[in-house]
Amino acid sequence: MLLSARGIGKHYGPVEVLRDVSLSVRAGEIRALCGENGAGKSTLVKIITGNQPADSGEITIDGVVATIRSPADAQKLGIALVSQELSLAPNLSVLDNIWLGNETVPLWHRRRALAERARAALDEVGLEGLRLDRQVGTLGIGRQQLVEVARMLTRDARILILDEPTATLSDVEIAHVFEALRRLRARGHAIIYITHRLGEVFEVCDSVSVLRNGALVGDAATGAIDRAGLISAMLGRELGELYPPPRAAPADGRPALSVRALAVPDMVHGIDFSARAGSLTCLAGQIGSGVTEALRALCGLNEAATGEFTIGGRRVPLRSVGRARAAGVRFISENRAGEGIFLRLTIAENLLCGQLRRFSRGGLLRRRAMRTIAGELAAAVAVRPARLDVVAADLSGGNQQKLAFGRIIDGAMPGVLLMNEPTRGVDVGARAEIYRLVRRFCDEGWCVVMASSDLEEVMGLADEVITLYRGRVVRQVGRAAVTMHGLLADITQQQAA
Amino acid sequence: MMALCRNAFARDLRPYTLLGIVIVIVGVIDHGTGFFFRGATLFSIMQIFATYGLVSLAVGLSLLVREFDISVAGMVSLAGAVAVLAGARDPWLGVGLALLVGLVGGAAQGLIITRLGLGSVGVTLGGLLSFQGLTYVLTGNQSISFDHVELALALNAPIGVVLSVRSMIVIAAFVLAAVVMQFSRVGRDILATGGDRRASTMAGVNTGGIVFGVFAASGLLCALSGVVLSYGLAAASPAALSDVLAPAAAGAIIGGVSVVGGRGRPAGIAAGVLVLCVLRSGLNAAGASADMLDIATGLVLLLIAVLDAPELARRLTEWRLHRRGA
Amino acid sequence: MTGALLRVTRAASPALLLRGGGGGALLIWALLTPGFLSRLSLLSMLSAISFVGCVTVGMGFITISGNIMSLALGATVSAASVVFMASLGAGLVPAVLIALLFGAAITAAQGVVVGYFRANAILVSIAALTLILGIAAHLTGGERIYPGGDGFAFFKGRIWMLPFETWLFAGCALAGQAILSFTRIGRDIIMTGSNREAARTVGVDVPIAVIAAYAIAGATSALAGILLAARYGSGDMDIGGGYEYRAIAAVLVGGIAIRGGAGSVLRGCAGVVVITVIEMVLRLRGYGEEWQYLITGLVLLGVVMAQSEGTRR
Repeated sequence: MLLSARGIGKHYGPVEVLRDVSLSVRAGEIRALCGENGAGKSTLVKIITGNQPADSGEITIDGVVATIRSPADAQKLGIALVSQELSLAPNLSVLDNIWLGNETVPLWHRRRALAERARAALDEVGLEGLRLDRQVGTLGIGRQQLVEVARMLTRDARILILDEPTATLSDVEIAHVFEALRRLRARGHAIIYITHRLGEVFEVCDSVSVLRNGALVGDAATGAIDRAGLISAMLGRELGELYPPPRAAPADGRPALSVRALAVPDMVHGIDFSARAGSLTCLAGQIGSGVTEALRALCGLNEAATGEFTIGGRRVPLRSVGRARAAGVRFISENRAGEGIFLRLTIAENLLCGQLRRFSRGGLLRRRAMRTIAGELAAAVAVRPARLDVVAADLSGGNQQKLAFGRIIDGAMPGVLLMNEPTRGVDVGARAEIYRLVRRFCDEGWCVVMASSDLEEVMGLADEVITLYRGRVVRQVGRAAVTMHGLLADITQQQAA
Repeated sequence: MMALCRNAFARDLRPYTLLGIVIVIVGVIDHGTGFFFRGATLFSIMQIFATYGLVSLAVGLSLLVREFDISVAGMVSLAGAVAVLAGARDPWLGVGLALLVGLVGGAAQGLIITRLGLGSVGVTLGGLLSFQGLTYVLTGNQSISFDHVELALALNAPIGVVLSVRSMIVIAAFVLAAVVMQFSRVGRDILATGGDRRASTMAGVNTGGIVFGVFAASGLLCALSGVVLSYGLAAASPAALSDVLAPAAAGAIIGGVSVVGGRGRPAGIAAGVLVLCVLRSGLNAAGASADMLDIATGLVLLLIAVLDAPELARRLTEWRLHRRGA
Repeated sequence: MTGALLRVTRAASPALLLRGGGGGALLIWALLTPGFLSRLSLLSMLSAISFVGCVTVGMGFITISGNIMSLALGATVSAASVVFMASLGAGLVPAVLIALLFGAAITAAQGVVVGYFRANAILVSIAALTLILGIAAHLTGGERIYPGGDGFAFFKGRIWMLPFETWLFAGCALAGQAILSFTRIGRDIIMTGSNREAARTVGVDVPIAVIAAYAIAGATSALAGILLAARYGSGDMDIGGGYEYRAIAAVLVGGIAIRGGAGSVLRGCAGVVVITVIEMVLRLRGYGEEWQYLITGLVLLGVVMAQSEGTRR
């Protein structure tokens, strides 16, 4: 075994995120690492790459116990990670990027001296035609990833860990990456390949390890397992308890929202769908499928969106947040720190931030009324009203997300609620609470549209599912007709086994 | 032809294109009297270059790593004062002490910024006022003269018609900076840090060290500039605060340095500063007042600030679609 | 009320204790300084506080909106003094209005570029500074501008013992605080400074909020220009030199966060008082103007460093 991790355990506070996990990979093997969001994949990778210490267990390289305390240690042992967030400087050339951060490069050097090895590494990953002076920012994501792999090769990496490299790639690019991986395997590299796309597991990997809730639940050669087996290993438990029971769709379920030919350059290519009031519609798709972009466009957050968007028959202008809001559209972002919550403002301020118009008379605010309403809103989303003056940064992720829900309630008629991955980074307990909130909005007559790449959540929650692939709608199906296999097949466009 | 034009105005070539244009314009204003191409004019251009060049380089370096050192003016006058005061006996002692002050002052700012995770504008604003205040205290709030007049004469004596020791020191500093940026790991790390700090850190670049080093270098360059200036004038004075920052920033920005970081070269900065110098000397020759130079500088700065702005493209798309009524 | 109380107790952090302790020490030091309580020094402090204070109120808006500072506000003060003096021929009220509008307009223009395109605020303000100085020098030829009319004599007088400019400054500060606390645009400015993207997603018109902050800054700077012009009986382009630095120092010393989205106008005013008192004490104790610059710079540096506590989170 080139790399072998045994009995790895890890706690974050009281939460056990990894429990006695073992993972090994041989030279010349590509091992898939699968699991749902939150199954512990990224924590395991962080431990192997020295970004986090393990609480228990040991890692051996070539049978020798290795201590990996820092990313530098991992680098010296020949372990390299290509994460989804690339570590390339977009303004520099391919050559400079390959040698960036490499401590063996002499302080003074001529670039030409380094060109030869860089060239060899690029050839090895299948980028024979790429010029060394090409600026990295002008390359597509796929080739950027390969440049990063080439960088790892120049650092003598023998164990490559690729974290969902194909999530944002086109078919041609994916083919390129696969070809490079096979070539690296043939040269005796060990590769750990993290992916959500089950088709890829069977296409390119030799073996697969499955994590669920922090434990290893499957370890098999890809020849010894089939797709259905892999899916049930990943999910394991029944959907249910977490999700509130769906309500029978209202008989008069009038279409509240309809979208025609919605397009965002390069991301969404003319999608049509409709959603009913009082029901929850999920837009399901992988990263890069256009789900997020479509949702943001409907909120007015994309300045290049075109198409027709109507609510209750009234046309809503695109490309303006203000006018979308006036038409009753509300948005909850997945990126809480970035654009969801005002971390440095108080709970009260966060709850009221989108509805100041209600409290203003000729531009002046009625502070007393604001105070009262803030208290009511806090109570409505189960945040303790006594904490109104606490800054949002002091709250947990789940409670922050509840604030985002609270600010939706603004006395307006039930409108359209758009949510992008509302439970990302939220622990299981708070998830259940958020799902109940979502359902309550539906019951009050809101038309809720949610974008999600978490298929379990989609299955558990949605009244209707619209699947997207590469910026186009694949299918719109009702709850009764939704199956995990069908969803997977739709969003990955690969035949279910 | 179009492609040629576009290339000529692409960021890397822009400073040289502008420099060419400015020279032609000034030549035309000149009415072919040949004034512009006289040695004396070129000499005066290089003297102006010597005054602003290093400060521009310092500001440019800080912009390269996506920071903004606005303390430069304070450091120039502080180092000038230190050099003149300490150099009364031995000018070399003055030089050494002034450079040390620059290095320590810059490094201190760099340390505060990287260790405390603070924005550079706030910290260097504090630095600016502190350096300036220190200068006032050292000089007793008045201009002090430097007794070694022969040194001033030597610094400013023409060498080969166009150059002087003063301008040659500045040119040497530019050459050194260009060599570091082109041929050393540090140069590449500086650009990478400015291009994407998170990615560079992940790739293994010591970005904190780079930022720290850039501020230390900026302090050193400003100190050198202050020494050369005050020795050349045989005087040091607590100069007004803002008159250095604007032309210095303008030189760097015209020189192709991007305020969003990671783009620009010392040679470009030199060309950018020269654009301003040629303009000034040309406007002088044409009898226009110095105000016109200020106005031109301000307009160019504003224009480039808009062109570099991250949301420019977004707004343009928005307006285009709005006009089409899509 | 309980909310306000909560806020105070929550803020009872080491930073606040430091600030309170520092303020107390400063007060004792000031009171122990002979001549500090004399009529002359109190009046001169009030005037100084008023002039810088007006600019500080405006600078506070820019800081809170998340754009740190405008280096052009000092030049705006000067330019407004010139405009005021030049337009006095049209009468006092029109002249005041013209000067205020002028200041608001040229500063709002910076806000347009910063708000709509998200251009680098510092760079834009340097460009504006250079343009204002250049154009003004071109138009005035560097001359001092004397009043084209009169009627501003009462500006130099006192009302109920206090200088006229102090009343105007107090009004300006209270109005600024009211805008920030009690109006929608004020909340929009705070939200924009706190998190520009979040503000956008909840429907705040971010460019308008930024432009408003800049326009207010321009107007209050112009007010300082008018007051200074009235006091000296003329307007010139040096009259507001350095005011931008004193104002930003006051803003930060008062505890307005440099990263934006937090703080109040009144805090900025407290900062002005602190800086002015330090300056007066130094002067009374025989330290020259040069020491005042140094102390201001060091205090500013210390205050900026003290703010890192909040950003490290």
